[in-house]
Amino acid sequence: MILRRKKLEANVPSMAMGDIAFLLLIFIVLLARARDDSHLVWQPATGSELVKPANQNASIVIDKMNITYLNGRPIQNENISDQLSALLGELPPGSRTVLFKVHKDVVAEHFEPAIEAISEAGGELHHVLEPLTAIKTP
Amino acid sequence: MKLRRPKYLVDPPSSSMNDIAFILIIFFLVCASVEPEDGRPQIIPSSEKNEEQNNTQSIEVGLTPSTATIDGTPYQKEQFKGKISQILSQKETESERIVVVKSQNDVPYEHWIAMTEIIEKSGGIVTLLLEEEQTIIVE
Repeated sequence: MILRRKKLEANVPSMAMGDIAFLLLIFIVLLARARDDSHLVWQPATGSELVKPANQNASIVIDKMNITYLNGRPIQNENISDQLSALLGELPPGSRTVLFKVHKDVVAEHFEPAIEAISEAGGELHHVLEPLTAIKTP
Repeated sequence: MKLRRPKYLVDPPSSSMNDIAFILIIFFLVCASVEPEDGRPQIIPSSEKNEEQNNTQSIEVGLTPSTATIDGTPYQKEQFKGKISQILSQKETESERIVVVKSQNDVPYEHWIAMTEIIEKSGGIVTLLLEEEQTIIVE
């Protein structure tokens, strides 16, 4: 007499997949947030004939409290050049864009050394500005 | 006699919920990541290049919080625009069109960006003149 082995079905529980995907996404979003600078408070100056940057390799923000950030992390002006050089590496000209976001009331004492450091590191400066037409008069 | 309607248990289709949640998350991510990036590229020549070009006579623009000077003469914004265009139109070579911008420490970024925009639109090449602090040890 042949006894047949009972077949056991082993299914992957599909109900939990949604939750797993959701948690993974939250994890990725949190990691991405740690690098960007969207949490910084600054108001752009105005300009005309603005263009979009072809690429973006780093961003420097000087917020309304005159604090300088490189890719969302606080940095001293003296260290910008070295750290930016390391970030840009051996990228060819045309691919070394550095977004420069400065609060409109920040004074030259704070932003000019940053511009100099970008230039020293071989970065291609791109001032992020607000179009003139977007100004709303009260 | 009352006839009771039978109660049917109808479950919403749960298999598509994951897809809906996923699409909603992507939608929120895309909305959240739109940040302004429009602006103006600016080429600041490196320091070494400046040193080479120090021999040629370049235009010097001084910036104060409200005015601008060209080779020491103060101008209001509108006058400045006309004057710098006039000066730069007479220059032919690239090295002659270098404009050295020297700002006071309290010049706001908005004023600086407006003035350098005028210079660049008039054909000038902006370079910065920064004051350096040096410590000299006397023996």
